[in-house]
This record gives sequence, C-alpha cells and structure tokens, in this order.
Amino acid sequence: MKENQLHPADAKVSALLRQSRAAPSLPPRFQQNVWRRIEDAEAPASQPSWLDALAALILRPRFALAAATALVLAGVFMGALDGRHQARHEAQANYLASVAPHSLR
Amino acid sequence: MNRSLIILLGALALGAAIFAGSYFASQRATVMCCTNPADDLSWLRDEFHLGDAEMARIHALHEGYLPKCAEMCAKIAAKKIELDNVLDNRTNVTAEVQAKLDELAALRAECQAQMLQHFVEVSQTMPAEQGRRYLAEMQKLTLGAHEQMEQSMSSDTAHEHHH
Repeated sequence: MKENQLHPADAKVSALLRQSRAAPSLPPRFQQNVWRRIEDAEAPASQPSWLDALAALILRPRFALAAATALVLAGVFMGALDGRHQARHEAQANYLASVAPHSLR
Repeated sequence: MNRSLIILLGALALGAAIFAGSYFASQRATVMCCTNPADDLSWLRDEFHLGDAEMARIHALHEGYLPKCAEMCAKIAAKKIELDNVLDNRTNVTAEVQAKLDELAALRAECQAQMLQHFVEVSQTMPAEQGRRYLAEMQKLTLGAHEQMEQSMSSDTAHEHHH
C-alpha cells in the first residue's frame, strides 16, 4: 500500500503533466451528436431487406433439409419419366433396326 | 458483394446441382433397368401389351423373317457396290448406270414388300386394335420417313419455283 501512495513530488509532476496536455476543442454540436448516437443505438434494429430475410430462411437447417429433399424427389421423378421415355425410344429403335434396315427407311 | 446475395446464389447453385444429380442418376437407372438390348422384341411386348402366347408367335415370325431380311440386305449392298463401280469416273448417267439404278430400286421395292408382309403377319397375331395400331406405327416409321423426305423436297422445289 505504501508503494501506491503518491509522493508529494509525484503529485506535483502529475499536476504539471495534466496542465501541459492540451485539451482539444470539441467539434461543433458534439454533445447533441453523442445523444443522437446513443438514441440510435437504443432504438430497435431496422427491418431487414427481403434478401436478408430469404438468406436467413435458407440458412435454417429445417428449411434447407426440406428444400433439398423436395429437389431430390423432383429430380428422381422427372428423371424416371424421361428415362422411361428414352428407354421406350431405344427399344423401339432396337426393334426397328432388326426388322427394317436403314436402306429401306 | 452482399453476404445475403452470396448465400442466395450459393443455395441456388447447390439446389441446381442436387436436382441435376438426382435427375440424371434416376434417368440413367431407369434406362438401364427398362431396356434390354439383347431382346429386339421388348418394345412390342411393352408398347402393345402382348401376352406370352402372342409373343411366342411373334418371336417365331421374327426368327423366320430375319434370314430373309439379311439376304435382301446383302443383295442391296452388293448392288450398291456395282452401282458405285459403274459410277466411278462417269460424268453423266449412262444406260448402264440407269440399269443398275433400276435393279437397285427393284431390290429395295422387293425388300420393302417383304418387310410390309412381315408387319402384316405380325399385326395379325395381335388383338385387332393393337394390330391396326402396330401396322400404322410401322408404316409411319418405315415408309413414312420416305414420304416426309419427298414432301419436304417437293415443298422446297415449289418454294424455289415461286421465286
């Protein structure tokens, strides 16, 4: 504790240092601006844009999982339909090639 | 760039990749499971909903027709070679070229008649409605291609004549 107590000479030096430090002049309407910033900080957050809302929705695990599942199911369904059509077409071409040579078509 | 926009674009790209992956995998799997390249007649069975008895009769007809078809194809191929040899270094249609063209056309006509006869026989082994549909489909797929080409050529010619 003894070490923490200032020596009278130190106090003097401190006072001199405080005096030597130039106090900068505050910008105009400093106080008003400080209060405005405090009010802004305390005000409720502004509404997010539709893009932010959509991004937040996409990042929700439940939504992401549902969307991925829907996409997989849609892809499988449409792929199977197209594959069936393609398989039918290939089978038809196969039959046609066996009974009707290209030179006759 | 805006963070939300990056997330949205990334999600769209990922979604497109997921959809495309499932689509092509499913398409490939369906084609592989539903086609049998070794079976020429699988299309008939599926398209015309034929039973085993009908398929057995069609199979016998098909097996009987294939050697005749192959023989005609060989004759046509040989005639084409003859025509090519006659055409070599010729700048005009000579009587010999015309004769080869006539012979080739006659062979093709004979082959087409044989093919149509086979289609008629196959159609008669099917139920009436399916048989009619089969015959119409086969005529469209074989002779129809020629008709389409001739029609397109005649319309092209008419178009040119109008000019």
